[in-house]
Amino acid sequence: MSDRRVLFEHILEPGTGKAIELLKGQILRIEQLEGGQCADFNCFNLNDYKEFMHCGRTRTVHGFHPTKGTFMWSAPPRERAMLYILEDTVGHNDVLFPRCSAYVYEASYGFSVHTNCHDIQAEAQREYGLTPDDVHDSFNLFMCTGVDQDGHAYMTRQTTKAGDYVDLLALMDVLAVPNVCGADVMRTSNFALKPLKLTVFAATDADLARVPKTPVLASQRTPKDFRNPTIKADRPLRRDPSYKSEFPNTPIRVTELPIALSPEELATFRSVKRTDIYDEDDAAALRDLLFSWWEERFLQAHAGAPSIESE
Amino acid sequence: MAETVIKLQLNQQQLELLDRTIARGVARDRVALVRLALREYAAARKAETKAKPNDREPVR
Repeated sequence: MSDRRVLFEHILEPGTGKAIELLKGQILRIEQLEGGQCADFNCFNLNDYKEFMHCGRTRTVHGFHPTKGTFMWSAPPRERAMLYILEDTVGHNDVLFPRCSAYVYEASYGFSVHTNCHDIQAEAQREYGLTPDDVHDSFNLFMCTGVDQDGHAYMTRQTTKAGDYVDLLALMDVLAVPNVCGADVMRTSNFALKPLKLTVFAATDADLARVPKTPVLASQRTPKDFRNPTIKADRPLRRDPSYKSEFPNTPIRVTELPIALSPEELATFRSVKRTDIYDEDDAAALRDLLFSWWEERFLQAHAGAPSIESE
Repeated sequence: MAETVIKLQLNQQQLELLDRTIARGVARDRVALVRLALREYAAARKAETKAKPNDREPVR
């Protein structure tokens, strides 16, 4: 750590954010100055803003609370690891909640204007020509959240102290956009807005060596693979009269595969088949069994997430 | 006793996955693969029932 060269420092004052060009191999540290402050974070591929960090994909791969040793992934069809969380002194981050917005503060609290993460993000990103529509769901650092028994996400207070930090290592050139969360009338930042410190370091060889390998797959597509690689430049949607659909693997064709079960095999099948779901439809129950077995035996990571070579 | 025939309905993607699994040497053909799945799935459920008698959902 002490070998890292400092490239940039900035104090994020309450109510503000900052768009930073974070190049591959650089580390962005987001640090508590007083403690108790949530930071929202967006990022985009610096050379193609249509590739951006995707909380949905990230939560599928790493769960609701990404921390040290996990990645921030870009949205399909790119699905590349954009950032690696190299250090996290707290371990309470969130990808459940979207950024807070002006609507929330007007609808729930009656504010005509109030600091909010969407508008702060939009203002910071405007420096690079992005619009308020380009803000996407945020990675919420230091934010303590969970899901209650009714399935609702909740947030609670945090216990971060001055000096706590998260280090994000760029795995590609990105526009990184952290902001001080605007929520002072919620528990998110313990009912106060405090500054945060940003530091950009050059990663050392030791830092880079800590990044696990991620899969490189043909399905990680870029515009050169798109049937329509052109970014639409106007707002109305109009039908393309020359459009002919090319959905992958269609038409879906179903084939019958007869399976002859001995009396013993049939008894085994009946002892485990999911009659609670399939009732007397043995064909559907056997298909379920077949692919459930396949998942148990061959899937290496949860919910179809890519298998990642760990540290 | 006579065998009972269950007619699995599988689409081309599902069959591709089975065939790639067979190509790894897991079973000699599709029917053998389904039989293997039945045996191993049932064995796993039996082991779970011993460990967690009230939980039907597989432990992942």
